[in-house]
Amino acid sequence: MSLLAAVEASLKHGTLYKASNAFVQWTDAGYIRAAASVADKRCSTGHQLSPIDGRLIAIKDNICTTGLPTTCASNSLKGFQSPYESTVVKKLRAAGAIICGKTNLDEFGMGSHSTNSASGAVNQGTGGELSVGGSSGGSAIAVASQQCWASIGTDTGGSIRLPAAYTGTVGFKPSYGMISRHGVIAYANSLDTVGILSRSVKDVQQVFAITRGHDTWDPTSLTEETRTKLTSAAKARPRRPNLRIGVPVEYNVAEINPTIRTIWQQALERVISAGHEVVSISLPSTRLALSTYYVLAPAEASSNLAKYDGVKYGNAASKPKLEANVLFATGRGQNLGDEVKRRILLGSFTLSASAFDNYFLQAQKVRRSVQQDFNAVFGIPNVLQESSAANPEGVDLLLTPTAPSFPPKLASLAHYTPLKSYGDDVLTVPASLAGLPVISIPTRTDTFGLDTPPGSVGLQLIGQYGNDDFVLDTAGQLETLLWNR
Amino acid sequence: MRHTTAVVNRIARIVYSSPACIRRHQSTLPFRKQLKDEAKLRKAQRGLINDKNPENDSGEDWELTVGLEIHAQLNSERKLFSSALTSITNELNSHTGLFDLSIPGSQPLLQKTVLLPALRAAIALNCEIQLESRFDRKHYFYHDQPAGYQITQYYAPLAKNGHVVLTQEDGIAPEDYPEVRVGIKQVQLEQDTAKTIQQPPDDVLLDFNRVGHPLIEIITLPHIHSPQTASACVRKLQDILESVNAVATGMELGGLRADANLSVQQRNTVGECSYSGVLGLGQRTEIKNLSSFKAVEDAIIAERNRQIQTLEQGGKIEGETRGWTLGSTETKKLRGKEGEVDYRYLPDPDIPPLLLSGELIEHLKHTLPALPDQQTSYLISSFDITMKDAKTLVSLDRGLRLDYLAEVFDILAKLGHDSYKLGRTASNWTLHELGGLLSTHSVPFEANPVSARALAEIISNLQNEQINGSGAKTLLSLVFAGTERNIDQLIVEHNLKSRNFEADEYRTIASQLLEQYPKMAQEIRNGKTGKLQWFVGQIMRASQGKMDAKTATDTLIELLGI
Repeated sequence: MSLLAAVEASLKHGTLYKASNAFVQWTDAGYIRAAASVADKRCSTGHQLSPIDGRLIAIKDNICTTGLPTTCASNSLKGFQSPYESTVVKKLRAAGAIICGKTNLDEFGMGSHSTNSASGAVNQGTGGELSVGGSSGGSAIAVASQQCWASIGTDTGGSIRLPAAYTGTVGFKPSYGMISRHGVIAYANSLDTVGILSRSVKDVQQVFAITRGHDTWDPTSLTEETRTKLTSAAKARPRRPNLRIGVPVEYNVAEINPTIRTIWQQALERVISAGHEVVSISLPSTRLALSTYYVLAPAEASSNLAKYDGVKYGNAASKPKLEANVLFATGRGQNLGDEVKRRILLGSFTLSASAFDNYFLQAQKVRRSVQQDFNAVFGIPNVLQESSAANPEGVDLLLTPTAPSFPPKLASLAHYTPLKSYGDDVLTVPASLAGLPVISIPTRTDTFGLDTPPGSVGLQLIGQYGNDDFVLDTAGQLETLLWNR
Repeated sequence: MRHTTAVVNRIARIVYSSPACIRRHQSTLPFRKQLKDEAKLRKAQRGLINDKNPENDSGEDWELTVGLEIHAQLNSERKLFSSALTSITNELNSHTGLFDLSIPGSQPLLQKTVLLPALRAAIALNCEIQLESRFDRKHYFYHDQPAGYQITQYYAPLAKNGHVVLTQEDGIAPEDYPEVRVGIKQVQLEQDTAKTIQQPPDDVLLDFNRVGHPLIEIITLPHIHSPQTASACVRKLQDILESVNAVATGMELGGLRADANLSVQQRNTVGECSYSGVLGLGQRTEIKNLSSFKAVEDAIIAERNRQIQTLEQGGKIEGETRGWTLGSTETKKLRGKEGEVDYRYLPDPDIPPLLLSGELIEHLKHTLPALPDQQTSYLISSFDITMKDAKTLVSLDRGLRLDYLAEVFDILAKLGHDSYKLGRTASNWTLHELGGLLSTHSVPFEANPVSARALAEIISNLQNEQINGSGAKTLLSLVFAGTERNIDQLIVEHNLKSRNFEADEYRTIASQLLEQYPKMAQEIRNGKTGKLQWFVGQIMRASQGKMDAKTATDTLIELLGI
């Protein structure tokens, strides 16, 4: 199939699944077709720019693009046109990818169902009004409904993996610092990670090959020197004929839906049948990870979002009240959504002088013990942490469910308390706190012949820091294991 | 930067204003005059404050304690966290990077070269440089702060535990003689804010050129007990920062700003408060944004008096922030405790810890320019220059005057002169004769038309008695006026060469004059010796200034028999 034909099919799906509300902004269809034709010409004359040349890629709308506005699904950035392009988009364009539009999300990435959006809630577009997960829900459903070939999302506490699990797509969160964040609008800098969604592990690998790499514009981007160290550390994996897969006992939380638990067990059995070893391990700090995340992320968010005052860009208050000598408050009150406000308040509290020690500092300590827990179970050491040593008895990877439940109906979310929504991140947050590479691989209830309604389930594969290629390679093998009936 | 143009234009539209607003005042006021004027003003001001505050006498019963926070703009080519160039006088909103304007998705990129002036400053202030320091965000909403926070070093600063020693010559208060040692708690790097330009009647315009300019904040311990010493401390800090090339401009151009925190307590009592480990102090208040040495001293006097008055009337001092306007006699409350800002310090998640190598610090220590005190004592010991002149030379024209004198010494040495013997003469000619011409004609030192060689040759001729003092002055004026002739030519053409007159020649002229003015001669004999100078002047005039004044005087005394 020519690239143009693939693009036409995607455009058709765009119309078909318009109700999913996956996009906040489409690129002009004429431009997309023209770009695809040019790419076809390049490919037919042997001048293909890269394996992703001419592919349609959608970009989460918290990543800056020139030519298309970048709004973070927030009224505070309504119509904001970035004066520069993010590094990740620049790299994709240079490789020939066609940026087909900006995808919907929870405002500034804060949410688990892509419903907290100034552009309206995202849904699966199949009539059941199911949640697509969040916050990269637009990116996930755009891929799942074939409106694009792949998409770029961001994952702060599960924002790529949860939507991947809910929509039946592959969602990859690389190690923190692998893909540049230059041009990625910050929610919680120390956790924000750019990642990839697509319909197969191989496609993810192709996009990752293009987008990874050091960037001098991002002070948290891994240097070439560190990348080399990570590569050689990964090679020092304990020599064993087969894989040793760890199952953290703490992840078997009561909230896990019984069907999902069964699929997890059966998947592990398939792993064993394939000749690999499965061992039970313990990550004792897991229980504290969720609350730690909801202290640290809002603290950083409260700081990062202080810039949206409506003075320099974005929207000012429609009727500012100046009598109290307060210039920004009205505009911020009008233009930021409820969940964003909730997290700013939470963060402002945990950073305040009287709460800092009990909340923020404690949370940082827990974050370190979460990292240490992971370092203790993996076979290879964490290159970034001097105290971390190789463990010959350690595991290669961890395999757990991505989400504890099936996608809820949007209508039922109205009855959720914020706390219940936060609970959906319980299995994804620990790897975020430790900055580890994780991929969520989809499977379906019917694949396992279960006597339940059909539905998508995601299983996540977690690797040691910097072991991204190993995670992806193994995910490729697992993909086959999970899809074969 | 090209890709920020769209946003910059937008900002420029919002905040457009005439560039004249930011044109800086170029001070050409000679240092001595400035000192004199300030002393005069100080005296006047004191009188004013004393009149209004009769309880000032009770200053005896109260002890004042002051700590200072100095914000100094670093002499740096680039901003602290963006590669945009720093700018002081450029077109409004022309020097900004993405991060300086807080454009979404941009991140801080620490500019390593900024560290050098900061480290030089910290070393010059005898601090312990921290091999690992960190950056934190300090949050508050204000229109001059585009991110909603300022990046500073709150939890782990660049340098700690320094000190500065102030002596009598630094202008400290007499009760502090012979010297005071003021501890420096820490030196930290931070960002400057945008510049607010008031546009009457009620527009507030913003120039973002200054936003993100690197600053150091120097926090002293509360070790100062007099307003005069506090002011001397700020001046000394400025001199030190200038001498190690850490700052581009001083207080007079807004490159340096000071906050003062102060408390009073009755002598021989122990207060209940402690600040930075200094125990037994009274409740303190803070005065923000003092922009001149005089403001530092006056504001502290006024606030001390207010605190004493409050306490003597049975009142209580509240921990609050106060402001000071130049020329006023009292500080004003800006915000009290209940209005205090909780800065919600957050370790910046984007900026890695700043790691320095011990070798870099050692290298900087060894290549540090001489500090003012070292320069002063060198001038005194090697060139026999007076303390007063040495101090002036060191602090004048950002060291340019001193460089000039050094060149004069070099040339004099090549001409075979002993620098120690000629030190005072050369310094005198550089500071006072040349300085006098410069200030009379309002020429800044940078535009000094007299080359070091010309001055050296004038001094050499004088020393070799080829010319006399008045001839030397004539030569200097000619060179200053821009003549193209060299010194030797000028001496010939203007007939300035002194010749040795015989004792007879002195006697002849002297007796002629005494005969011509017998009445005056008699008055001198009767004891009005002051009139002797008149005769000396006449002799000099008769010889076109070439005779020696001392020989002339001696001859007159001899002839008059007094």
